[in-house]
Amino acid sequence: MNRLWIALPILAVALAVVPWVASDTIVQYGINALLVATLAQGWNVIGGFAGYPSFGNSVFYGLGTYGTAIAMAQLHWSFGSGLVLGAVLGVACALLFGLPILRLRGPYFAIATLGLAAVMSAITATIDIAGKNIGLILPLFRGDTLFYEMSLILLVATTATVAWLARSRFGAGLVAIREDEDAAQVMGINTTMYKVAALVIAAFFSAIAGGIHAYWITFIDPASAFDPSLNVRMVIMTLFGGSGTVLGPVVGAFVLSAVSEVLASKATSVASLFYGFVIVAAVVLMPKGILDVMEGFRTARWRYFTNNLRRFRL
Amino acid sequence: MLLFGQILVNGILLGGLYGLMGLGMGLVWGVLKIVNLAHGALIMLGGYALYYLYTGAHIDPFLALPVAMILLFALGYVLQMFLLNLIVRSAQLNTLLITFGLDVVFVYMAQLLFSADFRTINPPYAGSNVNFFGVVVPYVQLASFIVAVVLASLLFLALDKTRTGRAIRATAQNLVAARLYGVNPKRIYAITFGTGAALAGAAGGLYGIVSQITPYIGVTLTAKSFVIAILGGLDKPIGVVFGGLILGIAEAMASLYLDPTYTDIISFGLLVVVLVARPAQLVGRA
Repeated sequence: MNRLWIALPILAVALAVVPWVASDTIVQYGINALLVATLAQGWNVIGGFAGYPSFGNSVFYGLGTYGTAIAMAQLHWSFGSGLVLGAVLGVACALLFGLPILRLRGPYFAIATLGLAAVMSAITATIDIAGKNIGLILPLFRGDTLFYEMSLILLVATTATVAWLARSRFGAGLVAIREDEDAAQVMGINTTMYKVAALVIAAFFSAIAGGIHAYWITFIDPASAFDPSLNVRMVIMTLFGGSGTVLGPVVGAFVLSAVSEVLASKATSVASLFYGFVIVAAVVLMPKGILDVMEGFRTARWRYFTNNLRRFRL
Repeated sequence: MLLFGQILVNGILLGGLYGLMGLGMGLVWGVLKIVNLAHGALIMLGGYALYYLYTGAHIDPFLALPVAMILLFALGYVLQMFLLNLIVRSAQLNTLLITFGLDVVFVYMAQLLFSADFRTINPPYAGSNVNFFGVVVPYVQLASFIVAVVLASLLFLALDKTRTGRAIRATAQNLVAARLYGVNPKRIYAITFGTGAALAGAAGGLYGIVSQITPYIGVTLTAKSFVIAILGGLDKPIGVVFGGLILGIAEAMASLYLDPTYTDIISFGLLVVVLVARPAQLVGRA
């Protein structure tokens, strides 16, 4: 395990050099992969650690997108203040929405997030300053390298936060909530506060990812900013890599981004269909993610999968 | 006053259909403890099944409805028997995730096979209506309301009187005890999920007659079905129909007194209010 923590900074540096040696296409693919890895890592906090499956994290991403776009296109602020506005919107939404909904358990939360994701673009399309249906155009700034490095820094910061979380009292509280919420409450954990804090962390990083993406592509509209399929991607990448682990979501995001890039060159719906199958297969065959498969397969071989199949069957 | 009456009737007619949607969701939730996030996708598939039975095989949509239900029942039965039974005992997080995955599979499969175009099941009598004291009631809406009520009553009778129905209720109450009395839970679970899917299929077919279907209608319908199931309570099929009526009337009223673009926002607001206000009582029962 220790060797891993030495290897990580080296990997981060290696990733940081990519824009200077690789082609434009690879850098652009890299930006997308880094941003979606950030989203997956954010989902990991609420879905993986706290065990509350949010199907609406795309809303925070979209709010970050819109916060940055409104600040830059309408108020003529700088990019930095735009990111701040986006993050504030995302966090405010997580608080406003999370406080009532996270008092509830399990499926109630999941359904509420599903509903939020479905209506958010309709709500945005009625707001004047957000450009209604038409969307907003941000000032043009060319510099894929800069966006790549910003995305990388964001992913490193998010992963560092999750690494801290995994060792902290707070993270232990979230895991306790996931395993047995009643017991966690009896142990003196303020479960609602913990869950809201987890959602806020997820919202904060997702919103910043949205802000970076907005300035990079320079044009946003309600449908693309609040694209619900983002939720599919972050959930599946976290599950595939291993939810509730520090590195799983990042590994899952990198692997599946590459696969979907290949599939999407054929047809986008084929790539999405593939994601759906992977979710189903992952839940049944490898509920602990690909990193656990690599470990378990060494000792149990194919029995690893049959054991998983047997564990919960009726 | 006439306008109010018309809106109320519209709401009630829509509400019957909503009740049917909630019924399948509530049955699966109450018996299997699975909140089926693919419920809306099953509704969508039912709509397409009926659409192709009507446009391809030229069977009258109301006669083809049982066929669509049988198809969906088979799909649901197979899904539960060979997939969901594998994880039905694991944490609720996993059942949520797997049905979410199924939803994604169905939606994009539909997009590949049926294209993203709007489809309407449009029988020749679609435009005709009957007039009650100035309130216009389209025949198809009235018929779909009646079908919804009949199916709800049939489900109620089947759960109450038949051997399988009693086995379903016994399994819902106590899995171990039911097993000791010779109930095969795998089969009962598969029948229950299949029935839920068949009800979704019926709702989808009727939805295709009175409205439009695309591969993407599922998500909002899943959320609505969930709200309806909560409003009605999980243990009484008749209550769920009333839950559907409440939502249908609320939506119709919202479209009258507020800008129609806000209907989605209203039903989402209602969703949150219902979620926050009701569950405590419901969790105790389920």
